[in-house]
Amino acid sequence: MTMATGRPAQIWISLRRPAITGAVGIVVAVLVLALSGVDPLRALSALVYGSLAPANIADTLNWAVPLVGMTLVAAVPLRAGIINLGGDGQMVVGALAAALTAIYLPVPGPLALVLALLAGAMAGSMLALLAAWGETRFGVPLLISSLLLGYPAAGVASYLVSGPLGDLGSGLAQTAQLPLDARLPLLAGVNGGVVLIVLLCVLVIFIDRRTVFGLETQVRGENRLFASYVGINAPLQTLRLMGFAGAIAGSVGAILVLGAFYRFIDGALLSPGYTWSGLMAALVGRGEPIASVLAGFFFAALQTGGFAMQRETSVPRVFTTMMQAVIVLVLTLRFGGRSGRHD
Amino acid sequence: MDNILEVENIEKRYGDLVANRDVNLAVRQGEIHAVMGENGAGKSTLMAILFGMIRPSAGTVRLRGKPVQFASTLDAISARIGMVHQAFKLFPSLTVWENIVFGAEPVRGALLDRKAARERVAALARTHHLDVDPDAVVGKLPIGMQQRVEILKALYRDAEILILDEPTAVLAPAERDGLLKIMRELAASGKTLLFVTHKLNEVMAVSDRVTVMRRGEVTDRMVTADTTAAAIIRAMTGREVSHEVVKPATARGRPLLEIDRLMVGNAAKPALDAVSFAVHAGEIVGIAGVAGNGQAELVDAVTGRRVIDGGTLTIAGTRANDLSLRERRGLGMAIVPEDRHDVGSVAGMPAYVNMSMGKHRAPPLSRRGLIDRAAMRRHAETLIQRFGVAIQGPDTRVGTLSGGNLQKLIVAREFDHQAPVLLVEQPTRGVDVGAIEYIHRVLVDERSAGRAVLLISSELPELLALCDRILVLYEGRIVRELAASQTDEKEIGFYMAGGKGA
Ligand SMILES: Nc1ncnc2c1ncn2[C@@H]1O[C@H](COP(=O)(O)OP(=O)(O)O)[C@@H](O)[C@H]1O
Ligand SMILES: [Mg+2]
Repeated sequence: MTMATGRPAQIWISLRRPAITGAVGIVVAVLVLALSGVDPLRALSALVYGSLAPANIADTLNWAVPLVGMTLVAAVPLRAGIINLGGDGQMVVGALAAALTAIYLPVPGPLALVLALLAGAMAGSMLALLAAWGETRFGVPLLISSLLLGYPAAGVASYLVSGPLGDLGSGLAQTAQLPLDARLPLLAGVNGGVVLIVLLCVLVIFIDRRTVFGLETQVRGENRLFASYVGINAPLQTLRLMGFAGAIAGSVGAILVLGAFYRFIDGALLSPGYTWSGLMAALVGRGEPIASVLAGFFFAALQTGGFAMQRETSVPRVFTTMMQAVIVLVLTLRFGGRSGRHD
Repeated sequence: MDNILEVENIEKRYGDLVANRDVNLAVRQGEIHAVMGENGAGKSTLMAILFGMIRPSAGTVRLRGKPVQFASTLDAISARIGMVHQAFKLFPSLTVWENIVFGAEPVRGALLDRKAARERVAALARTHHLDVDPDAVVGKLPIGMQQRVEILKALYRDAEILILDEPTAVLAPAERDGLLKIMRELAASGKTLLFVTHKLNEVMAVSDRVTVMRRGEVTDRMVTADTTAAAIIRAMTGREVSHEVVKPATARGRPLLEIDRLMVGNAAKPALDAVSFAVHAGEIVGIAGVAGNGQAELVDAVTGRRVIDGGTLTIAGTRANDLSLRERRGLGMAIVPEDRHDVGSVAGMPAYVNMSMGKHRAPPLSRRGLIDRAAMRRHAETLIQRFGVAIQGPDTRVGTLSGGNLQKLIVAREFDHQAPVLLVEQPTRGVDVGAIEYIHRVLVDERSAGRAVLLISSELPELLALCDRILVLYEGRIVRELAASQTDEKEIGFYMAGGKGA
């Protein structure tokens, strides 16, 4: 029994997928651009320059903060095979809770900042737990309960800021501005929440690799029947994973409010589609945190570069959305044939 | 010589692994030719080559004297070879005849000639005494019947050579006997059968000649009538394997698993009807019964997969009716499940994870919620050594293991718990002789160590060899308790079929 596990073979196997994907991505990009009468080289260099040049890297990071955050929101449960479609709602309630805490809580600024972050995380967590509880207690599939709970949550938030808790003077559906000392500082032009997101990434990776909880999560993701046979408590696991994911989503909402908008603006959190890009990144990484986070960062760079490309050339920004879709498709394909046993 | 099929110097490599090396095989027209070998010997690889599923790295296949090269199974089918796979390839929602004619339908104009198709299937079934209803929906048929549909499918395409890859592995004893009879009739009507198995009694019962493989090579060729089971086993394993299980005398201790008037299912037709028995320390109690008479429900009730509707379940002195599986395991129960691929292991993860599960929450494998991978690897290495699992190392994914080795790995993990109660389901189904011998030995060792073992098996010889007592389940009730030393297959079979006691 000596299976082929030579070094070169293994390295090729682990690099094959990204290599093929990169090649397919570039070919598709060049083809599409050439067919629509644009110089592919000019467009693609505008894309790369617009996202990674020193002058533009801050834009990319600012986009990556929420996108990578929402990648974790999807990846954490996905590692156990659970799909969390409720990221939008969890982010919105977190953002609103953070904004209200920072504006209305009569405590000194820095303390309000910390409490606002905590409130955001808790609010997001509660909403996610509610969805999870729907499944563990009443058998409503999480796929449905998490998605459906998002709509009323966003709706209530929208109502609150356009009425009772809104900044009536502005005529817009938004809260008042946060006090100056309850805001996250900018770090070289980047939302100060970047530190928190990096810490969250490290925490998720640590839990995944080093803890009993992380191991059990992977086991469940690989084989549910086996997990319950060896005595892993699936409902409890679902609650914990969703509670954690919701807390991250709430934190992302809080970070956007405290470090970027400085108020809760209706719709501003959802229109960029961070939740869905994050979900795609998590799917590309199959919930494995390092791969998912890298994919999330890559998507953030791609999307940021897309803005630049739209400015410099006539290529609309949806081009990057298409690229993203191509990448997800190729990466989630099973290629190389079935390598399983035939008996 | 009238060899219909000849294989010369076939070789098949998967990277460094040689699945078939210098294989020669000669099959005569109209014979039942058995291909035997332990798991991983390369039998399925050879059959896949013959059926055009994979291409050999070297060597030639000669059919009716002429060299052939199959690009796909379609080529093999048009060369009148048919194959019945271990996992059936049928559409469960279609009827028997629809499945059989699918892809080779008789047409009238542009339309499927339903009537002609159905007739042909019915006629074919009659000629070969393959008693199946052409209009039955395949998904509702028992496994044995589905297998007949697969055979008919091959015959419908005019197969002259029929390859059966471990056809009996999925069958209950009665179904197996039916299949062996069908095989004999097919051979009598001039078909040639290639019969892959690792069950000795089947080979002795039906085959004309045997080709034995070990580690990718042919180790022996014999005429069945002139050989012995011992000689075949020696060729398969390369050593002497004793079939005898030596059971030392043990003192029966206190009851560790107690089941009292257990009810499962609705009152009108309960799946388990007031089942009562106890398994004591130092004994192996076997459950015999035709599949579907309550074994699955009994296991589900004991493991907590199904709610207990009445009666009590007591594990090591504690009432366990309402406990989760985790809590039941905590009371001292280890389980070797029937389905080792989907329940007993996680194919995509390394051996050390598979072998640590269940012990991974406590030192030395983890401390304060942090896992210690080095300790897990050491733990796995120890068990791999002790139980002789043939695997590269603790980091190898278990999805690549053969049935026997995977079973050893699961047995190693579960027995290492030293739990007082062992629930063991079909421990040797689809496992090769070498591993069977080993698993039987460790089961008896567990008995000597004072465990209470509940053994559910469809192999009567296994129950007879291992058990102290055998309980026969029929329609959800225990209809008979037999002392293993004072009964035989015939008596057990009588009660399994619903026979009333004297
Ligand atoms: N597709 C494959 N890729 C790599 N190894 C394989 C593949 N199929 C079979 N093998 C290996 O080839 C050997 C022979 O396998 P197989 O023919 O299935 O044995 P058998 O049917 O006798 O149990 C085994 O070691 C098995 O792991
Ligand atoms: Mg096989």
